[in-house]
Amino acid sequence: MSAVQVRGLRKSYGPLDVLRDIDLEVREGEFTVLLGPSGCGKSTLLSAIAGLDPVNAGRIEIGGVDVTDRDPSARGIAMVFQSYALYPTMTVRNNMTFGLRVKRLPKPEIEKRLTWAADMLQLSALLDRKPGQLSGGQRQRVAIGRALVQQSRVFLFDEPLSNLDAKLRAEMRVEIKRLHRELAPTVVYVTHDQIEAMTLATRIAVMRGGRIEQYATPDELYERPQTLFVAGFVGSPAMNFLPVVLRRNGPSVGAELGDLRIPLDAYRFTALPADGTEAILGIRPEHAALAGAGVQVDTETLFMEPMGADTLGWFQLGTEKLAARLAPQVARGVNGPQRLALDIANASIFARDTEQRL
Amino acid sequence: MKAGRIGLYAFLLGAALFFSIPLLIVVMTSLKPMPEIRTGSIFALPLAPNFDAWVKAWMSACTGLACEGIRVGFWNSFRILIPSVALSVMAGALNGYALAQWKPPGANALLTALMLGAFIPYQVILYPMVKILSNVGLYNSLPGIIAVHIIFGLPVMTLIFRNFYAGLPDELLKAARVDGAGFWRIFVEIMLPLSVNILIVAVILQVTGIWNDYLLGLIFAGRDNAPMTVQLNLIVNTSMGEQEHNVNMAATLLTALPPLLVYFASGRYFVRGITAGAVKG
Repeated sequence: MSAVQVRGLRKSYGPLDVLRDIDLEVREGEFTVLLGPSGCGKSTLLSAIAGLDPVNAGRIEIGGVDVTDRDPSARGIAMVFQSYALYPTMTVRNNMTFGLRVKRLPKPEIEKRLTWAADMLQLSALLDRKPGQLSGGQRQRVAIGRALVQQSRVFLFDEPLSNLDAKLRAEMRVEIKRLHRELAPTVVYVTHDQIEAMTLATRIAVMRGGRIEQYATPDELYERPQTLFVAGFVGSPAMNFLPVVLRRNGPSVGAELGDLRIPLDAYRFTALPADGTEAILGIRPEHAALAGAGVQVDTETLFMEPMGADTLGWFQLGTEKLAARLAPQVARGVNGPQRLALDIANASIFARDTEQRL
Repeated sequence: MKAGRIGLYAFLLGAALFFSIPLLIVVMTSLKPMPEIRTGSIFALPLAPNFDAWVKAWMSACTGLACEGIRVGFWNSFRILIPSVALSVMAGALNGYALAQWKPPGANALLTALMLGAFIPYQVILYPMVKILSNVGLYNSLPGIIAVHIIFGLPVMTLIFRNFYAGLPDELLKAARVDGAGFWRIFVEIMLPLSVNILIVAVILQVTGIWNDYLLGLIFAGRDNAPMTVQLNLIVNTSMGEQEHNVNMAATLLTALPPLLVYFASGRYFVRGITAGAVKG
């Protein structure tokens, strides 16, 4: 059963199309992350699901009920905002119970939910403070608590961690993951941070220019990106892109990079491409190694970037630069001409014109 | 201390003295009996300071035919002031909140119109206003003058509050909407408690503006509701008999006192509110 179902959603501000024909299905208990660069429409899509912004066309169902024209509070959602949006003049207690009081829930029920959520988020000692007296992490927890007490079917998060520093962000990420494991709510979560997306999501929808480019599990997204944009956006350090021309010799396909020939026999094409197809060969840095099986190519060492756990080695391959993720021990003392092994089976190839996976 | 500093303080002291001379003369004169005023210099200190002139100004000075003192005007001013300030500030807050936070269609056009309204000198619209009020039967009445003050106060009040509410994050309203609160509930429970400083600024502006108003009170209030400023003018500009300078001065001071007290009591908030609107932390 789908908890959230979006069909043919369109939204424009004057001549500017922010959302174009969005289809999205979030299953019960699923953690869906909307990922994309700023301006891709991910927050607008979340606002549309929340009912905070009217849409031009399309349909939104929550829990099987058409809520397209309903007020935010009648959709069975709870939401956590980027700026926390705590009510500044109210105590933590009143912030968390405001929505319940508006809905005129009985006092004992409000008290019960407050205690439960406060325990869950270690907020019990802070209930009588004002938001101004809390740290950033505590404010974020109050904002999550305010959503939890609603005991809604669906939780919406709009870049909730982007105002926190790196260390706190990692802590809150774990906290959110724990809450999702314990309470198993349906979550739609907006972020531009791919680490957040990869670590939290059960499925990620990568958005660009008001469209969903790919909606898949984190593994699938990382290993088999469907478009050039997804391949480039997901993964850090970024995937190497080599502009090649595909040459066919019967069932065997090779890539031509200047004078260089790279056999692509290990790659599983969705359909065999025509001879002379202009393509982009995408290889993740961890799929280029200094030794081992795979297609061997001769390169010239450029420089090394130590990153702690790994070292990113940069090599000149023909006219292009290629990054390889190396173990620090291996990377030390590497210079001069090197032979690299490329793992073509795990590469991605895209048509240069359509930017779709081949 | 450097010579520059000494010069600076000397200049400031001189300027302060210069500007306080008129006030000092008014205060001194109000404490003298008439014979002393007639014979002495206006700069002379009162020989035997007393409040006789103040009592007369308050209790029995003649405003035209009636000789009941300026207290009649004081209470009239109060009756005009309280509802005018309360209603214009509330309406301004509500307008500003609706325009800034709910952004109804045409909000910007309305805002432009309000800007124009705030800058048009009101003498221009006095005559049409008189016609309108007399057509609806409010001319020369207490509700009439109150309505006029509310209408003339609305553009500035709305702009002040709109700018304040536009500075609040959008997400506050969104969070409250997700929580299920409606237009009024959000206004009363979330926005108004946030607006204390700006409310104080607005009240000060309106209290001083409405209390000090003379023209609108003269035209729209009618004889029975004439505010203190109009009564004061009747006392000071009377052409019958001897000019009682001490009573005139005392009546002037009495009229000027309430806005002064408001400033002294709330100047701190005034500065705080204006700067709070300017720099949002």
